[in-house]
Amino acid sequence: MSVLADQFTAHTFVDAFRFIGDNASLMLSKTGQTCELAFAALGIALALALPLGLWLGHRHRGLFLALGVSTLGRALPIIVLIAFGLTVLGVGFWNNTAALVVLGIPPILTNAYFAVDGADRDAVEAARGMGLTERQVLLRIELPLGLPLIVAGVRISAVFVIASATIAAIAGGGGLGDIIVNQASYGLAGVIAGSLCVSAVALLTALALGLVHRAVSRSTTARA
Amino acid sequence: MFRKHTRRAAKAAFAISLGVALLIGLTAGSGLAAAKAKPTVVVGTKNFTEEYILGQLYGQALAAKGYTVKYAGSIGSSELADTAITSGKINFYPEYTGVLALDIAKLKNAPKSASATYAAAKTFEETRKLTLLAATPFYDTDTVTVLKTTADKYGLKAIGDLKKVPSFSYAGFPECATRATCLLGLKNTYGLKQTKFVPLASVSVYTLLDQGKVTGGDGFSTDPEQASGKYVALADTKHIFGFQNVAPVLTQELAQAGGSDLASVVNAVSSKLTLAAMQAMNKAVAVDKKTPQAVAAAFLKANGLG
Amino acid sequence: MIPVLGGSGPVIPSFGSGSSCEQNNGWWCTDWLREHWGDTLQPALVQHIELVAIAIAAGFLIASVLAIAGFRYRLLDVPVGGFADFLYTIPSIALFQLLVPFTGLTVLTVEIALTSYTLFVLYRNMVAGLRGVPEDALEAARGMGLTRVQTFFRVELPLASPAVLAGLRIATVSTVSIATVAAFVVPKGLGEPIFIGLDQNLFKTEILAAGGLAILLALAADVALAWFARAVTPWSRA
Repeated sequence: MSVLADQFTAHTFVDAFRFIGDNASLMLSKTGQTCELAFAALGIALALALPLGLWLGHRHRGLFLALGVSTLGRALPIIVLIAFGLTVLGVGFWNNTAALVVLGIPPILTNAYFAVDGADRDAVEAARGMGLTERQVLLRIELPLGLPLIVAGVRISAVFVIASATIAAIAGGGGLGDIIVNQASYGLAGVIAGSLCVSAVALLTALALGLVHRAVSRSTTARA
Repeated sequence: MFRKHTRRAAKAAFAISLGVALLIGLTAGSGLAAAKAKPTVVVGTKNFTEEYILGQLYGQALAAKGYTVKYAGSIGSSELADTAITSGKINFYPEYTGVLALDIAKLKNAPKSASATYAAAKTFEETRKLTLLAATPFYDTDTVTVLKTTADKYGLKAIGDLKKVPSFSYAGFPECATRATCLLGLKNTYGLKQTKFVPLASVSVYTLLDQGKVTGGDGFSTDPEQASGKYVALADTKHIFGFQNVAPVLTQELAQAGGSDLASVVNAVSSKLTLAAMQAMNKAVAVDKKTPQAVAAAFLKANGLG
Repeated sequence: MIPVLGGSGPVIPSFGSGSSCEQNNGWWCTDWLREHWGDTLQPALVQHIELVAIAIAAGFLIASVLAIAGFRYRLLDVPVGGFADFLYTIPSIALFQLLVPFTGLTVLTVEIALTSYTLFVLYRNMVAGLRGVPEDALEAARGMGLTRVQTFFRVELPLASPAVLAGLRIATVSTVSIATVAAFVVPKGLGEPIFIGLDQNLFKTEILAAGGLAILLALAADVALAWFARAVTPWSRA
């Protein structure tokens, strides 16, 4: 059953699709695990980074933090995060989730900050003049204006977290990574099949966020 | 519209980055072309401590006798190492005879002795333009290792006793899932159908045992942890783990090019690899944090092989 | 039959014992760091710098060609940009394995994968930078009678360079980080000591030291490139 790695041809690609078909239930459950892990991490990252980024941007403070976090986030290798988490949190779902949260935060935080910080100052001052509270200014003026940049940040974060979630498999994280790191059992066709599923999840998520963005921006411009 | 010096600066920046890029490209290119004169031994290893040491032992002994040795490094599981050697990416790696017979050749009837296992492995490899050199005196089998506290709690002595453990979980290398000498053996031979398997690609099973995340783990019988008294390896009364002496696998092409000289260099190393020697070297690396290179060098020197 | 290997038993030399910190997988064993800087960490660091430098250089060249093409012929931008996006979604741990059948267990395998990942950021930033050149600047260039090529080198390229250099910074930092995963396939770079530390029942010192070096290297590269960018594009200083 093992697909010899030296016989990589167009045939191997066909085999990868056949692999998905033959192991549909396996692929589905592994894809489910990957989504669970990645979306849990993404949700937590959003809950932490979005309010902070918006608030800092609104106050026009913390430029250094916003920039520093984004650079540091890119600089942190996922395997170091997983290894470090192993020593503190032990093997399991939360270790891997925590590692992915750390990776997911920077693009969201940085983009949210710059989206709000860069919102048209005239519009903001006009809103204040009309007697809007700071909260209203942020939610009704700055947030809609900065939305494209904010959604772009979430997209970058989502793609990055989904692709990185596979590496969790080296530490018993489950998901599609289990197939990708086990060429021995599943063959190269399995590795390709697993990686195609990861790409599909990542691209679909990016697409969905793009649609959300379009829908939201249309409704806000319609209201304006 | 631009001041002149800024335009020049931009051009200079472009030129510098282009130059640097080309320079790096050139040096990288020249590094790839290496001179070949003697039979070159490309040593691969599997992905754990004992294999790193074995790779260094054979590699350094050959280098000392004038062979050109290249280290392909840690390749991964036996299945991948096998692919690497059959496709010519390496031409030498140390392998366990039982793994060859049962997991690579997938023999239906498990050989009943160490010598039968070696013979079966060699016969199989010779059908594929490969061959084996002599086996080592030491052997190293997979085990079902549990914490001593777990063994005491449930009264575990042999693998069969695991039926007493509610929700048994077992951690091991990912490929364990599809091996007769591993998870399949536990399920089919011992009837432990409900075993929950936790695949680990790089993390030590002892880490998971220590953290109480799994009940059992696939420890190797030569691991230094086995001697610490903290763990118990359960007796394999039905012999699913097979007979696992190490024998270097090499391509027949290399065996012919190297002739009896290469064989004698390699066999001289193998002959010294007793259980005590291998355990001492594993401990030096895994516990005392010496490098496999340094440990192998010291061992070869002490035995007049380096 | 197992050929009988004759001769006397082995001499087992003393390999030297580790410190109690090393034996207990301590967090920060200075004696380990001192002993293994030369044989483990320093070579890994040098290899890591090489891996990244080559990938960035190759990625920069390829992205430049693609970006100029995508900028001139807008029809190309969608497929090229889309392909760069797709490459970015392939998990690194899979891409390294997929390339082995073609390029073997060599540094080339690592370089191709790392280069592929740089394209996403570099290409996008280059095109965005070139597109962002204000119309009046181009107008002025035409007014001065510059040719297309002159306009590109004297107007568009200098004006796009802040965005290009920003992309270069992001790509470099990310590549330093992703390159640690390469050791899953080819034992080079700072990932190698990390994987070995994981295998040795979590030897924290080795993991933290190698991981820390990777992070420091990324940050140092970021600062150096920021400084470089300020030096060559003084007009972009806010």
